[in-house]
Amino acid sequence: MDIRVLRPSDIPLIQHANIENLPENYFLKYYLYHALSWPQLSYVAVDVSRPAKSAYDYPKIVGYVLAKMEEEPTDGVQHGHITSLSVMRTHRRLGIAEKLMRQSQQAMVETFGAHYVSLHVRVSNAAAIHLYRDTLGFKTEKTEAKYYADGEDAFCMKLDLGPIREALQNELLEQDGEKKDKDSSSKKKQIEDGGKGGGSEGVDEGEAVGDVGRDPEAADSKKEDKTVKVKVGRGLGVGELVERDESKH
Amino acid sequence: MPQTLSTREANLFRTVIRHYEEKQYKRGLKAAEQILKKNPRHGDTMSMKALIMNSQGKTEEAFALAKEALTIDMKSHICWHVYGILYRQHKNFDEAIKAYKFALKLEPESQQIQRDLAVLQVQIRDYQGYVQSRFAMLKAKPHLRQNWTALAIAYQLEGSLEQAENILTTYEKSMTNVPLKTDQEHSEALLYKNTIIAERGDIQRALEHLDSDCKNCLDRLAVMEMRARYLGQLNRKEEAAKAWRALLDRNPEHPEYYEGLIGALEIDEKDEAALKAIYDEYAAKYPRSDAAKRLPLNFLTGDSFKAAAKSYLTNMLDRGVPSVFANLKHLYSDVAKKEAVLALAEEYLKEHKGSEQANGDSSKGVGAALYFLAQHYNYHLSRDLAKAMEYVEQAIELDPKNVDFHMTKARIFKHQGDTAKASEAMDHARSLDTKDRYINSKAAKYQLRNNENEKALETMGLFTRAETVGGPLADLTDMQCMWFLTEDGEAWQRRGNTGLALKRFTTINNIFDIWQEDQFDFHSFSLRKGQIRAYVDMIRWEDSIREHPFYFRAALDAVKLYLDMFEKQQAAANGTNGTGEATNGDDAAEKKKAAKKARKEAQKAEREAAEKTAKQDPNKATAKKDEEPKKKDDDPNGLKLAATTDPLGDAMKFLNNILQFSPKNIEGQIAGFDVYMRRKKYLLALRCLNAAQALNPEHPRVKEQFAELQKAVESLDDAQSAKVKEVLKAKFSS
Repeated sequence: MDIRVLRPSDIPLIQHANIENLPENYFLKYYLYHALSWPQLSYVAVDVSRPAKSAYDYPKIVGYVLAKMEEEPTDGVQHGHITSLSVMRTHRRLGIAEKLMRQSQQAMVETFGAHYVSLHVRVSNAAAIHLYRDTLGFKTEKTEAKYYADGEDAFCMKLDLGPIREALQNELLEQDGEKKDKDSSSKKKQIEDGGKGGGSEGVDEGEAVGDVGRDPEAADSKKEDKTVKVKVGRGLGVGELVERDESKH
Repeated sequence: MPQTLSTREANLFRTVIRHYEEKQYKRGLKAAEQILKKNPRHGDTMSMKALIMNSQGKTEEAFALAKEALTIDMKSHICWHVYGILYRQHKNFDEAIKAYKFALKLEPESQQIQRDLAVLQVQIRDYQGYVQSRFAMLKAKPHLRQNWTALAIAYQLEGSLEQAENILTTYEKSMTNVPLKTDQEHSEALLYKNTIIAERGDIQRALEHLDSDCKNCLDRLAVMEMRARYLGQLNRKEEAAKAWRALLDRNPEHPEYYEGLIGALEIDEKDEAALKAIYDEYAAKYPRSDAAKRLPLNFLTGDSFKAAAKSYLTNMLDRGVPSVFANLKHLYSDVAKKEAVLALAEEYLKEHKGSEQANGDSSKGVGAALYFLAQHYNYHLSRDLAKAMEYVEQAIELDPKNVDFHMTKARIFKHQGDTAKASEAMDHARSLDTKDRYINSKAAKYQLRNNENEKALETMGLFTRAETVGGPLADLTDMQCMWFLTEDGEAWQRRGNTGLALKRFTTINNIFDIWQEDQFDFHSFSLRKGQIRAYVDMIRWEDSIREHPFYFRAALDAVKLYLDMFEKQQAAANGTNGTGEATNGDDAAEKKKAAKKARKEAQKAEREAAEKTAKQDPNKATAKKDEEPKKKDDDPNGLKLAATTDPLGDAMKFLNNILQFSPKNIEGQIAGFDVYMRRKKYLLALRCLNAAQALNPEHPRVKEQFAELQKAVESLDDAQSAKVKEVLKAKFSS
């Protein structure tokens, strides 16, 4: 298994994994829209142990996270959103979903200065809720009635990315310290972007980016990530490539 | 002579344009007709009317009117522009470009025409034209960074990397303010420039540029990866090792990072212990990393392999990870490893036998071992289906409700060739977890393998959107569900329903058309978004999109089906003499009957699906009211496709793509030979044959085809055949 950032050439097999696993599907253009707007945020898990079948073999995608930034956040705070996440039934219990999510969250902070990440999940999807809440630390914000096309409600969940932001700030400050003599340009600007939690009071805790923003407590909790279902409506019109309110059906 | 409009009508003309832009087609038409009443030969108004009619779906009338407008007013850029838009909307990009060029000649200052033209040029990969257009656009608006970046992209795609870099540098030098660190466009433009420098082959300079200019770029992972790769390429081992280690700390599941580190540390690739030590270090540091534990199994041999495999397998079976077999099976190409893994699994089972907890998780421990062994004996390199069945039955006995166990049982039936039992078993697995679409998809797939198209569609319908007009099939087509369309087509083909089979394969082809058109909007969108590297990646991928196995499989199916149809038509044409033909005739009649029956069944299924849709909760159905009415398919069952009188001609649509995009696939070359032979294009047949021979001279069809070709040209003495004979002779004498 190989976990890496998504490439456009992965998209047909990401779409395949999605429609094989989940009831919420999108056409290719919607994946392209993610890949070309926020190429840093979407990750795939590839089955590398599969022997190539022809000269034109494409890596088999066994899991993916499709993520984006909210383009016009209603609360005015920069944040990411998980459009879809799934792992093939045959590749469960390897912690793939969690690993994909952590990579994506790291990039949301680094590249787009996200403060938090949000997602929707079916209220009946116990396995996914377990992953988000117990493993990754998401909190349930509210319940959205009849969010899904079939009438099921969704939990709207959020994860504060503050810890990743702080770790990143510390790391940048540390780098700055090392370079002070050589490089006088301060990184303050970048660090303080977005305002929230811009302080640098945190002492260096070492290994700031180790295994990407891992929550040490969560790491010990028992993993049982089954196919994780995330519903964000169907990305119908990308026609104009303008972000739309996906929660409307 | 073109007519000129009075002030009042000129105003009216502007409202026509406005109505068109606001999609108020009826009003627009009314206003246009008002003008034309007084000025029946006003070209611009006629063109606008054509444009509106086109939007209303009256394509032919629109083209006719636009053409007429042009003959009246050849000098109007509006007429040419509209003509170009019409062609563009009907995907005839070459003609559209011609029209746009005329329009631009008449109105060189029009930025809209220029922009539309540029997008068309990059869409059809006319890079020289694109460079010219982007150059003109830059000249018109040099203060926009987008225009500089766009010209650089045009140069890069055209292959002029030096110019591309220069353009980016020129812009950078002209910047008066230092952009904010959070400026996405700036950050990406710097990284984009860095990729161009590297693409020029100057890695040293790329590294320097990365270190000096890209330190603060927002895509931190990209900066780290590029740096590690450059350092590796430049043999700066120590720094490279540090860079790869930093990446491993971010993501210990990416094999490239381990390989990079090993290369930088100059570890001898035969020194298993030293290699293993690297992986062990990361396995200890990141205990949950799978890669650090599994990758060493690829290179370890003998006892150290056994030890590592044992620890890996034990851990996975203890935890009940269902993918453990999938994770190890690639090792089976090495016989010693295959045997070692089997022995370890058996040993594990023996040790744990009797420790099954009645209420414990049966997917772990013994259950996992039984499941592993069932998969082992089901795999083609270690197949013993009786044993596989034995193990899976034991596993099922342990936990009769385990979906994975039943899924494997279905696979064993499949390998036994019993598609009926396989389909039944997979459907049983599905019934154990009706909320999981994965197992639902598998059940449908096995139904298709057993030629149960109607049932499969019903199964799929459990998860498709209920409110989609046209039922599950329409939803699966909309959502571009390639695997289902392909399997459905193949099943119809086996059932003798040529129409529906061709219909599905054609749908796949159409979806690839859509995928190609999907890029269109991104040519301008990506410039606005500024994510240039991702855009260039996309362009390069789209260039060879039809090499994808999704395309190849359906296209090859279609070509073979057309070949079949041709043979049958030939047989029917000669069908009056000889008993052999007579049975063929019977056969054909039989098939026709079967096809008719299949068609009826499909219609029934469609009717039922439509009824089901109609019966859905009306609230849900109305929620999507604003959706545009779908264009009606005038050949839903592929009857028109099946009625072709020129199957070989129709096959070319698929074959050309196969030969252009997947030339290294021998099956494609072999099918190409068959088509060209029947079309009596012997030189082209020879070309396919040569390609096939180069790919695999041992392929049984290659020899046969040589003989076939030789026989075909033997008695001919036209120029083409002479040439073929000459080549064949040279081939065999050497």
